[in-house]
Amino acid sequence: MKDSLYLAWRYLRHHRAKTLLLVLSLSVFLGLPLVMRAMSAVIQQSLMARAESTPLLLGKKGSSLDLVVEALYFQAKGIEALTAADADEVDDTGLAQAIPMRTGLLAQQFPVVGTSLDYFGFRGLQTANGRTLATLGECVIGADVAATLGLKPGDAILTSPSSLFDLAGVYPLRLQVVGTLHPSYGPDDRAVFVDVKTAWVAEGLGHGHQDLATASGDVLLKRKDGTATANAKLVQYNKITDENADNFHFHGDPASYPLSSVIVVPNDDKAGVLLRGRFVNDPARQMLRPAQVVEGLNAQIFRFERVLQIIVWTVGLATALMFVLVMVLSWRLRADELRTMTRLGCSRWKAVQIMGAEVSLMVGTSVALAAFLGFVMAHYGETWLQNLVLRGS
Amino acid sequence: MIELRDVRFEYTRGGFSLRVPDLEISPGTRAAAIGPSGSGKTTLLNLISGIERPEAGQIETAGMRVDKLSQAARRSFRITNIGFVFQDFLLLDYLDVLQNILYPYRLHHDLRLDDAAHARAQRLAADLGIDRLLKRRPDELSQGERQRVAIARALVTAPTLVLADEPTGNLDPATKQHALDLLFEQCNALSMTLLMVTHDHGLLDRFDQVVDVSAFEGSPP
Repeated sequence: MKDSLYLAWRYLRHHRAKTLLLVLSLSVFLGLPLVMRAMSAVIQQSLMARAESTPLLLGKKGSSLDLVVEALYFQAKGIEALTAADADEVDDTGLAQAIPMRTGLLAQQFPVVGTSLDYFGFRGLQTANGRTLATLGECVIGADVAATLGLKPGDAILTSPSSLFDLAGVYPLRLQVVGTLHPSYGPDDRAVFVDVKTAWVAEGLGHGHQDLATASGDVLLKRKDGTATANAKLVQYNKITDENADNFHFHGDPASYPLSSVIVVPNDDKAGVLLRGRFVNDPARQMLRPAQVVEGLNAQIFRFERVLQIIVWTVGLATALMFVLVMVLSWRLRADELRTMTRLGCSRWKAVQIMGAEVSLMVGTSVALAAFLGFVMAHYGETWLQNLVLRGS
Repeated sequence: MIELRDVRFEYTRGGFSLRVPDLEISPGTRAAAIGPSGSGKTTLLNLISGIERPEAGQIETAGMRVDKLSQAARRSFRITNIGFVFQDFLLLDYLDVLQNILYPYRLHHDLRLDDAAHARAQRLAADLGIDRLLKRRPDELSQGERQRVAIARALVTAPTLVLADEPTGNLDPATKQHALDLLFEQCNALSMTLLMVTHDHGLLDRFDQVVDVSAFEGSPP
């Protein structure tokens, strides 16, 4: 067997390009299902972990999946908005803590999440640098945002206008970075957190401008009965500072201001059941358990994975057949060598051994490579995937 | 050394047959087999070495009735008793010269690749003037050098019989004579019997015996 392995090894080494190609093809064929399984498991676990850590979610009636995706993963799905009054309603029950969530805006391609300070405590998010939110116009950024944009406390980030060519639309708001968060390997790493009121200002629901009481005459169109009407010369603020903070204000009833969703943290299981009961027949709103929704999503992923597995095995079968074909053709091309072996007196068994050794070396190396790939995925895949795949979720 | 009596052979697919009524080659003889193409020279070598089995008759090679041996036994007999030199050398491009010479040792468990085998390969390489090429690959050698490697491979197991199938057919005249000198020299030194197929009648006076295969009863394809 030693001689067969030696001859096989020398042959494979001499034809290293062909050998490498075959070994890599086989490795991919053998390793792909392992990698796919590991990826799928990591994605499902990560989705489920975040969903399970969010007990209840309140939102407008509609797609439960869209609500969960927007509230938990900050992917803008255009869901219908609740009002701040809905959050107050939950708070007023005394059964749970209501954490308002306003999503949908972007700041330099990263989602802006308007919420309250309770969110940081609820998710266990801690600042790595700087401090947490204190006043209007401040933001705390996730670890990835800080790393990608190179931002630190003291820097600023601009919100993206919702419509670039709408001159009457909302202008970008300059947010002051006051803190960066420790990595949490989840969607929070890629979010820009602001107070919910700051989010409303960024949306144009609240605004700040030059004080009309002290404004000069060329700015005012008319002043009558304690009200003043200004022309376009009035200076609008796109940055909230200590000096102009008092000039920012909201028109209308704050209770009617929009929230994308409300994270509901019941005091206990019973409180959770009671709350769900209250909303079960609500015609306009839904209260759901995110874990239940993600379970359904995971079932879909599992079904999709099964289809992918079938495709992978089909491709794998084609690869295996191609491997056999290449080996058969290779031995046909080596007919002279086989004839020489026979004429010199090589036993039939020895010839089979030499051929078998070549196949074994290649398959063995491929299995080892695939196993190594599987080992790497099993040990380091989670961090890698969380960094790479889940960034977008 | 070689005795054929009333041997009859026909390829199973038909089209060619050979009949050898009587042939005898004594030990230590340098014999040449001649005849036109298709007359059965290579078939004769195949029968003597046991690559082919006759339908009738007796073949005794190196004291062994090869026509009575099983295929496995004939292979074992061949690798331990017969050295082959082929016209197109049939060296392996993925082995260096030394490993090509030692190749037969890797093909059958009856041969043991030990220090003695290595020493014999080195000595043969030195005798044939290719000892400086041992680490080279066949495609880096000239035709003459490759032929010498093929001769060394045929002799390394110290066989009692060397069968050479037009070993000088691809060589230029000067190299041809030199290769023949080396082959004869080594066969003499090691007391081996040589049966060589050749088309070159100019070489025949260097042989002890000439076997004209066209004189046997055969039907060309």
